[in-house]
Amino acid sequence: MTEKERKGLDRVREIYQDRAHRAKELKAEGKQVMGYLCLYPVLEMLTAVDLAPYRILGDMEEPITKADACLPTVVCPFIRSALDLGLKGKYDFLDGVVMAHICDVGEKTSHIWRTYLNPSYFYFIDTPHTVHKAAQQQLKEQLKDFKKTLESFTGRELSLDKLKQAIKTYNRQRALVRELYDLRKPDPPLISGAETLQVMVALMSIPVDEGIDLLRQVISEVKEGKNGPPKKPARLLVWGSIIDNTALIRMIEELEANVVIDDTCVGSRAYFPNVELTDDPLDGLVYRYLVGLKCPRTFRESVFGETKKDYIKDLESRFGYIKDYAKEWNVNGVILQSVRYCDIHGYEVPGLRDYLDHIGLPNIYLEHDYSEAALAPLRTRAQAFLEVIG
Amino acid sequence: MMSNEKKKRAINRLKTMYPLRNLIDEMYQRGVEASKIGKPTAWSMVNWWEADPILKAMDIEIVYPENYGAVCAAFGAAPAYLDRSDSDGFPTHMCGYARNCIGYAARMKDLGEIPPEAPMGGMAKPILLLASGSLCDARYKWFQALGRYLDAPVWTVEIPHPGVEESFREGAYESAINFMVKELGEFVTFLERLLAKKMDWDKLAEITDDIIKINRLWYEINELRKARPCPMHSRDFWSCMNASLYPAGDPKESLKLYQDMYQEVKDRVENKIGAVAEEKYRLAFAELPPWHDLKIFDELAERGWNFVIESWAYHPPKPIDTSQVSNPLERIAKETYQWFTGSFKGALKAKEYMGYFAYPYLEYARDYQCDGALLHPLLTCRTATNHLMLVQDRLLNKLKIPSLVAEGDIVDLKLFDHADTMRKAETLEEMMDHYRGVRREEGLEW
Amino acid sequence: MTKVVIMGRDEKICARIVGPTGAEHRRLANKVMEEALEQANLSFNEISCVIATGYGRINVPFADRQITELTCHARGVVSLFPKVRIAIDIGGQDAKGLKISNGKLIDFVMNDRCAAGTGRFLEVIAAALGLKLEELGEISLKSTNRVKISSTCTVFAQQEVIQRISEGIPLEDIVAGLHDAIASRVAKMVKRLKIEPDVVFTGGVAKNAGVVHALKENIGGEILVPDEPLLTGAIGAAILGKELTLKAVAKGETIQRKERRLEEATFFNRGN
Ligand code: SF4
Ligand code: SF4
Repeated sequence: MTEKERKGLDRVREIYQDRAHRAKELKAEGKQVMGYLCLYPVLEMLTAVDLAPYRILGDMEEPITKADACLPTVVCPFIRSALDLGLKGKYDFLDGVVMAHICDVGEKTSHIWRTYLNPSYFYFIDTPHTVHKAAQQQLKEQLKDFKKTLESFTGRELSLDKLKQAIKTYNRQRALVRELYDLRKPDPPLISGAETLQVMVALMSIPVDEGIDLLRQVISEVKEGKNGPPKKPARLLVWGSIIDNTALIRMIEELEANVVIDDTCVGSRAYFPNVELTDDPLDGLVYRYLVGLKCPRTFRESVFGETKKDYIKDLESRFGYIKDYAKEWNVNGVILQSVRYCDIHGYEVPGLRDYLDHIGLPNIYLEHDYSEAALAPLRTRAQAFLEVIG
Repeated sequence: MMSNEKKKRAINRLKTMYPLRNLIDEMYQRGVEASKIGKPTAWSMVNWWEADPILKAMDIEIVYPENYGAVCAAFGAAPAYLDRSDSDGFPTHMCGYARNCIGYAARMKDLGEIPPEAPMGGMAKPILLLASGSLCDARYKWFQALGRYLDAPVWTVEIPHPGVEESFREGAYESAINFMVKELGEFVTFLERLLAKKMDWDKLAEITDDIIKINRLWYEINELRKARPCPMHSRDFWSCMNASLYPAGDPKESLKLYQDMYQEVKDRVENKIGAVAEEKYRLAFAELPPWHDLKIFDELAERGWNFVIESWAYHPPKPIDTSQVSNPLERIAKETYQWFTGSFKGALKAKEYMGYFAYPYLEYARDYQCDGALLHPLLTCRTATNHLMLVQDRLLNKLKIPSLVAEGDIVDLKLFDHADTMRKAETLEEMMDHYRGVRREEGLEW
Repeated sequence: MTKVVIMGRDEKICARIVGPTGAEHRRLANKVMEEALEQANLSFNEISCVIATGYGRINVPFADRQITELTCHARGVVSLFPKVRIAIDIGGQDAKGLKISNGKLIDFVMNDRCAAGTGRFLEVIAAALGLKLEELGEISLKSTNRVKISSTCTVFAQQEVIQRISEGIPLEDIVAGLHDAIASRVAKMVKRLKIEPDVVFTGGVAKNAGVVHALKENIGGEILVPDEPLLTGAIGAAILGKELTLKAVAKGETIQRKERRLEEATFFNRGN
């Protein structure tokens, strides 16, 4: 096995180039691989029944052809791309798929996926919209059922012990991701934003324990600090909808900026929240996946049952963590970005910009089409933004 | 002149539609007046009867900004509001109704009062923004975003969106209902604090019961449309749906008028009177019609096109018996959940996994024996658009029913191309003729 | 258009060139530069700093720095109108709005996606009407009853214009309508910056008196236009170059990062 010979960032690049390679290898060894869409399927439960989770992503470099026949062009191009890959058979190696109610188009795409591709195992988690107690209970009931379906699909028991074990393993991986992100706090950061993104994509393509090993190698390699990025005037936070290709971050980092922290879902959003080990492990999982995950697809009020809305307080409760990131990573500018047609992120933009203005962080919003060619015009905007803050 | 008169008669409208449509307009005006003189007002998303009865029982006036978006579009007021939303930095690809409302709210904030140019009396300043998690992301994100301009709190009512198969898993139904009931309970408590007054539970029970009765009757009316020829055209459906969908005013008045309508439709069925003189083709329509170009249906009617069923999302739930349920919140939960999942059983059997929005059209097409469908994707309402390609594909491949796609938008009314649609209609006719034969060959009943 | 400005330490312009651009010309930045040097009677190594800006900025291999046109425009406009708060620039390929505070660019908006809000719109339609671009302004000023062009897309607007002509509507009223259409699009975009005076209008389209007039109406206030609206970006670039040089000199550094040679770009398709 040659890939085992490569280590650290070399291995990361290898996986990034050919994401499915390891999953296919595992499959050949008799392991079952379970695809999942976005952040809401509970990975700990998959690992606990010995399934290898594999995140379904899009491919910016692949023109969309087949999805044109089942999703209109005026919807999220990322989700269209992911579905397109599915319809083209690129995810045929998956033994099953878990999807969730992320956004409206994500939900509909889940059903379309099942209708057309009919995988041998499929589960749809209907993630509630609010974080209220009743919503948590509703998610928990679904997870109980999810557990049963996993057991009958695999013929293996999803025991409490194994679930607790899996939770610990994932938390360990999350802690290591934080450690890696900590290496971006110095100036210059020890690892670039584009490379970090590659690491995140790699982690989502291999089993969690292998990811832990890989992270350890990457961290010690990065700490040696030989090939880190140069010092640049701007230290940026990038916020927004999914980024699963390095093109955008690379474009920014070719300018006078380092991307030192992100709030996106192939990044901190996926790895920062931990799971608390509760007596019934499902409680901790529910809390983490519903309340802990900070994706704008979830509705939150600053105070449950408030009868008047204080705008700033509302923004503070929704975006306060971004201020914390900005402080910890010593950020002097924020790039908000979203794929076009994403309502979830689109509605957030003016409010988040209000908040960033309020706390004095310069910011800009870039909208793109999830294609590398379409990034070119954004370059001028990004560069001008850097000149403004520089 | 002759041809003009003929055109008018192309669709045989229901006589009982007119008083009902008038009542809808009147109730709307009454609502505007009431909230203008200070009655507490909520802006609410269409919520499929999940929150309306509760708000009504608490004596809150309800206005529907989605509906108001259509009003602004029709009166030509929308462009200015859309511009305002754009210049406030909201991305332009978002829902036209939302951007209209955002622009309106921004302007209302600037002026400190209802903008004088606002059509039909405008929307009064709300004490509550009632968002809904059902069907569309805009329907809660948009109200959340209004925090820029309004200090009203936002409450989001939950409705579970289970997958088709998942909804039949053991305990799933109970859990979903339980969830809704608990959330509605919280909602009532919240309203009691907001208004500093107690819920009148008897009143709630009564309103809930009335609304269910309306929906039942409305359902039965639409059932009668399965007859050949179909006695009621989609245009009558759209003219009257608001009395069920936005249960404004006194439900008892609406109930009475729906009863009259039921009689008329039934008479027509018995006497074999169709909504279109010579029913050559029976069609389904998805989703919202091109409001400013409804005359296209007259032109199509002249060609013998009868629209016999339409707009899944605006139809009432299939009847279930909740009369024995004593807690009105539970009744509400069950009815609304039924609206959403009512076609799931058939969907599961057919291995169709988009059990709402898409599968219902297969069911309609079969039950109403449709020859074709007209699909109307809306540029900025992704919710009414996402599923249409699936619908088109399934109708054709499973039921051998061809369909026609004609694009439009909810606020950019120019987008709908009348002439082009009429041209395409000819082709669809040929296809409908052709597929009749195919269906027969494949042993489908019509 | 390719523009070159060579400026002395005293901010006096010693050469100004406005030449055509195209895929081919863009590659030939060196040729235009040679022309400018000739005009200024200077040799290339007498130039202490070269700044490239605009879309072609990555195709100028002999530049010391690349700075976006937004920053350069802002600087250029400030040098001409120190009290400017909003600068609007409409060129052939894009339109931008700049917000300026204390002589510094603080925010901007731009449209480079849709031709309808740029000079390209007028070019296409002037061609359809068989008119010269330069004639449009004067023609439109005769208008007494401007028509409304309702199409927001260049292609449809073109059809609409032809339709109007066939209806016998006077040319000046149609042209005035076109000017209003472009002005209202741009004004809408710039409103995102919250418009405050002084407002300055630059770019090729600012030479068109009809658009200037329409833009005034659409933003509801006075607008200032420089004598040479095409050159503001280049002037700004030159001033920024001078400032950078002085700063470097003061620190005892040099501005040049690499050896500079006046040659044509090799990967000329990069910026297209
Ligand atoms: S990017 Fe937005 S629209 Fe696309 S899947 Fe994510 S949340 Fe949904
Ligand atoms: S996108 Fe469609 S369903 Fe959603 S709020 Fe707008 S009009 Fe309503």
